[in-house]
Amino acid sequence: MTAGAINRVESVDEAVSTSTALAVTARRWAWLPAYALGFYVLHQVAAIWGDSGFYSLWYPAAGLRFAVLWRRGARATGWVVLTELMVQLAAGVVAAAGADWPQQAWSIMRPGVGYGLAIGGVQHLAARAKDARFATPPMPLGLASALAPFAAMLLSLPSVFLRPDFTRVDSPAEIVGSLAAFTVGDLLGVLLIAPPLLWLCDAIERGRRPTLTPPRAGAWIEGGTVLVIAFLLVWTLDGIGLGRPTTPVLLAVAWIGLRFGRAAAWSAILVTALVILPHTAGLATLDATLALHMGLSAVAVVGYLAGSFADADIRARADLARRDRLLFQAERLKTLRAMSVAVIHEISQPLSTLAIEVRHLAEISASPHADAQELHEGAQLIERKTLALATLVRRLRRFGGRAVDDPSPLPVATLLDTVGTLVRLEARAAGVTLTIEPGDLDLVVLAQEIELAQAIVNLVRNAVQATSDRRVAIHAERFSDKVRIRVVNARGAEEAHGAGMGVGLLVARTIVKAHGGHLHRVDQPNAVAQILTLPLAEDLP
Amino acid sequence: MSLVGTVYVVDDDGDLGASVARLLRRHGHAAEPFLDPAPLLAIYRDAPADCIVTDVMMGDLDGFGFADRVRAIDPATAIVFMTAWPTTANAVDSIRRYGGLDYLEKPIDEDRLVAAVMEGVAWSRRRRASLARTANLTPREREVFDLLVCGHPNKVIAAELGLSPKTIEDHRAAIMAKTGAAGLAQLIALAE
Repeated sequence: MTAGAINRVESVDEAVSTSTALAVTARRWAWLPAYALGFYVLHQVAAIWGDSGFYSLWYPAAGLRFAVLWRRGARATGWVVLTELMVQLAAGVVAAAGADWPQQAWSIMRPGVGYGLAIGGVQHLAARAKDARFATPPMPLGLASALAPFAAMLLSLPSVFLRPDFTRVDSPAEIVGSLAAFTVGDLLGVLLIAPPLLWLCDAIERGRRPTLTPPRAGAWIEGGTVLVIAFLLVWTLDGIGLGRPTTPVLLAVAWIGLRFGRAAAWSAILVTALVILPHTAGLATLDATLALHMGLSAVAVVGYLAGSFADADIRARADLARRDRLLFQAERLKTLRAMSVAVIHEISQPLSTLAIEVRHLAEISASPHADAQELHEGAQLIERKTLALATLVRRLRRFGGRAVDDPSPLPVATLLDTVGTLVRLEARAAGVTLTIEPGDLDLVVLAQEIELAQAIVNLVRNAVQATSDRRVAIHAERFSDKVRIRVVNARGAEEAHGAGMGVGLLVARTIVKAHGGHLHRVDQPNAVAQILTLPLAEDLP
Repeated sequence: MSLVGTVYVVDDDGDLGASVARLLRRHGHAAEPFLDPAPLLAIYRDAPADCIVTDVMMGDLDGFGFADRVRAIDPATAIVFMTAWPTTANAVDSIRRYGGLDYLEKPIDEDRLVAAVMEGVAWSRRRRASLARTANLTPREREVFDLLVCGHPNKVIAAELGLSPKTIEDHRAAIMAKTGAAGLAQLIALAE
């Protein structure tokens, strides 16, 4: 290729990369005009629930703002605030001229700044939190949704008290009312609009796969019933003239959130909002509207936090289960390693004999004065060793087949033989003699051999570390309709401890439990026994 | 020309022990297999060997413990370890701490085993001869001998032992006479 061709290729590459960069930039900033449009529309919709002292008692634009900031991170605050300012300028809400222009601009930018601070703060704390309950998603999202409107409200405090003329309210009562209305409006906006927007974003990002499993039919019936009862209660109280307390609905939604998670809680909140919001649209009396919206926002906050908590709990449990699985996997690998070492040992012994004998036979059979007796004896020895190897391979094959995963009838003697094969070498390396008494040959359990062998191997390993007289004994015996396998080691003056983390014992206990048995430790004056009790196969249903 | 001697083979796998012993017998050694080190230790003082081939992993007494016990009885026998579970730590220990001549992995490399045993028999013979030549030294002469073979000059040895250089000269002459060494180099060879 000539230098010119290379240059051409490079310039084509450059052009491609420039256009790609442009596309990336376009995609990166596409959200800004979309946000401007969305904000404008939702801001106008909110005016329906508005009044003189405040803009709206339900402010969906706050939900959009929150969702965008949560997705983009607190660093996008500047862009969000700027966009909102532009929209309001374009809509003529504020004029770029006039002496009050800076204060007016600040009053428009304030909520966005408050949201950015709240989201940044929560994300910062969640990343460093020691308490996993509050740091596990979606808990930080839930907390930020509830806190952001309050942060925005707190930011407005100085100017509300210093320049009340901007908010067109003058008496202290009106100021408090205005602040409460602002917070309630934003809370409702955030809690009703942000969750579905964020779910939608997740769904688009991860393709068709739904990230949130919809509640099961049973959950719909239970949640629906609870919610209907709560509404009936409110309706009854209203009917007999005792006012319209939202407490029953609050309790119902909290129940739904804790039981079924965020998706269900949000559905219940949406239903409640759909009942209340049309009712309060254009309502003349502020106090009634404010009371209802405050009740609704309480329902939304409590329900959403309860749902988030339940989801975070499920996630934390899943994390724990995953870690447990990894631990089990690691234990299993350890057993497999011990097994491979044992197998290498078992194979190389007869193989050594075979190698020596076969070479000798080859040598003497080539000579004309071969001793028939010697040839015969050599051949016999080779046959015996080959048979031993074949038996070993057959025994190993059991581990590779389906028998590994399916519980199958397993004689205890075979199980203990496997255990012996697995740990005898290791015990020997530690200078410990292992004695195994398999008991009756007709003791049969239903087991996953490799798992159960691993459980006993772990117990033996612990015993080998702890024994004070370099001896460990395993014996099995019938105990009514069960079999007891005891792993016994002598105990010295001082208990050996700190050798392991007890993971082996934990794994053993779990495996034995999965086999319908149990494991307990018996301390005798000078010995320790781990007793593993398993149901016998003949007595299993 | 091959050097042959008495060899004991210790392995808890009876067939393998017997096979190795037969192999060594075919190479001219007087080889005897043992399943367990204990009976061998019981008769060893009366029937010492030039070389012992032993497994590392065995029942009550492992190959290393056995090597220690044999060394206590007979410092001049060569020991060759064999194992089905080779580890670096054991390989180093077998040579450094237990005075092994070789550390063989199973399945066994036959030629290497035969070579190791032959080398062992030769080493054992030399060692026995050296021990015999230094066996008649008095305790004081033994002290002087040990320092001499480290390469110390007479003055230093005298200071070390609190004797006069003249006395050291006398001891040195006695040592040379008893061992029949023709110089310091031969003396050092005896101590190896």
